[in-house]
Amino acid sequence: MAQKPKVAITWLGACGGCDMAVVDLDAGLLDVADKLDIVLWPVALDYKYQDVQALSDCSLALAIISGCVRNDEHLEIARLLRQKAGLVLALGACACFGGTPGLANFVGRQEILDFVYRDAPTVENPEGTIPQEKSLVNGHELTLPAFHEKVRAIKQVIDVDYFLPGCPPPPHLISQAINAVLAGDLPPKGSALAPRRALCDVCPRNRKKPARLEIHQIRQIHTIETDPDYCFLEEGILCMGPATRSGCGETCIRNNMPCRGCFGPVAGVEDAGTKHLSALASILRTEQYFDLAQLVETIPDPAGLFYRFTQPVSILGKAALKMHPLDKERP
Amino acid sequence: MKDYNPRIVCFSCKFGWGYLDPHKESLKGVDHWVPVACSGKIDATHILEAFAKGADGILILVCPEGDCHLQDGNFKTEAKVFLLQRILPAWGLDSRRLRVIAAMNPDGEKIPALVRDMASQIAPLGPARLFADSLAAGGESGRDSFPARA
Repeated sequence: MAQKPKVAITWLGACGGCDMAVVDLDAGLLDVADKLDIVLWPVALDYKYQDVQALSDCSLALAIISGCVRNDEHLEIARLLRQKAGLVLALGACACFGGTPGLANFVGRQEILDFVYRDAPTVENPEGTIPQEKSLVNGHELTLPAFHEKVRAIKQVIDVDYFLPGCPPPPHLISQAINAVLAGDLPPKGSALAPRRALCDVCPRNRKKPARLEIHQIRQIHTIETDPDYCFLEEGILCMGPATRSGCGETCIRNNMPCRGCFGPVAGVEDAGTKHLSALASILRTEQYFDLAQLVETIPDPAGLFYRFTQPVSILGKAALKMHPLDKERP
Repeated sequence: MKDYNPRIVCFSCKFGWGYLDPHKESLKGVDHWVPVACSGKIDATHILEAFAKGADGILILVCPEGDCHLQDGNFKTEAKVFLLQRILPAWGLDSRRLRVIAAMNPDGEKIPALVRDMASQIAPLGPARLFADSLAAGGESGRDSFPARA
């Protein structure tokens, strides 16, 4: 029997949800295991990084990487897998755009450490202990990976071949992606392995969308009872559907939750936040011009809303990353 | 800081603020000027790109309410500006660095004065290299989205 293609699945700065989405292939996972030789999958199998290091370069057919790059360990594993794999697939919003951990880029490393280990109301740390990269315990030196100033998407540290966004990506797209790699039936490098159109195009609530959408009042989903068939924007609930890529299976929408934008921008768009912002700006309506500023004031945390999953890859996010070159962050 | 002159990028609507030649003598002093067919064409992406490329302030000149040649481009741009003014502080940029003026001046003769006026008002804020520096200096930063300290 011919040797099965080798695949590595790993997580960097991630919650494990993307790995769970792979597990959600369910019985399909047995098919995958039949066709592929999984050499690394920390969440499911015993592994050693040395085993991967021992492989020859490009000997892996595919490396599936989820999570963002937040510390030196993430960086090292990303670079190692790039070296060993012919194809790298960024899986999930964190790997593709930085994801929700990327919101930490609105502040810096010191502020994060200060809050988490000193200032948070639930912290009791009279000795002011904070994690150190090197510490001595019983005469032995222990080390931790260096914590970077900023979060990065994987494409900001290594070359990435394909992207599959989502928080988490739906299992059917994962299975399609793996089959496409096996069959060699792949779109141009750098493509997202998901539909190109916006979520509004396929939204089941489109049926009850009025001809002209207008928002007169911003509302929060938990404060009103919504009609499960009605467009969220028409009710004043901020839904990110107009500028978000489709393909997620509309899970949130079908469960009466507005889109949060985890599939990132549609094909060809660099900065998702500005597109969310422009889409919203075009449907805000007030009787008087000066009421517009007041209406905008009622949006809670707009920067977090528009850039919930894409802060590190946005226009200003990238400019801010330039202020913190990766090489300087490393000891 | 004495000789510091902020770099102002000015976008203007051609209908309300003139089809003008940026090289005209009376418009000297407006170094970064982008006249557009309708202010509605000014995308939020253009505004953030200008900041990312080193603009210290951005002035947007739109038609007065009800006077947009293309229905409501001015209204939409104002809505974008108000939204952007709310997200800029999260990036360490003072919201005063982005200003919209709704008026009409087809000769464009007021533009240099408006640009100078904005430059003098944001000069005290210093250069917009704020991503790293302002956080260190404790300036206006993205603490909106981060719990306040006790």
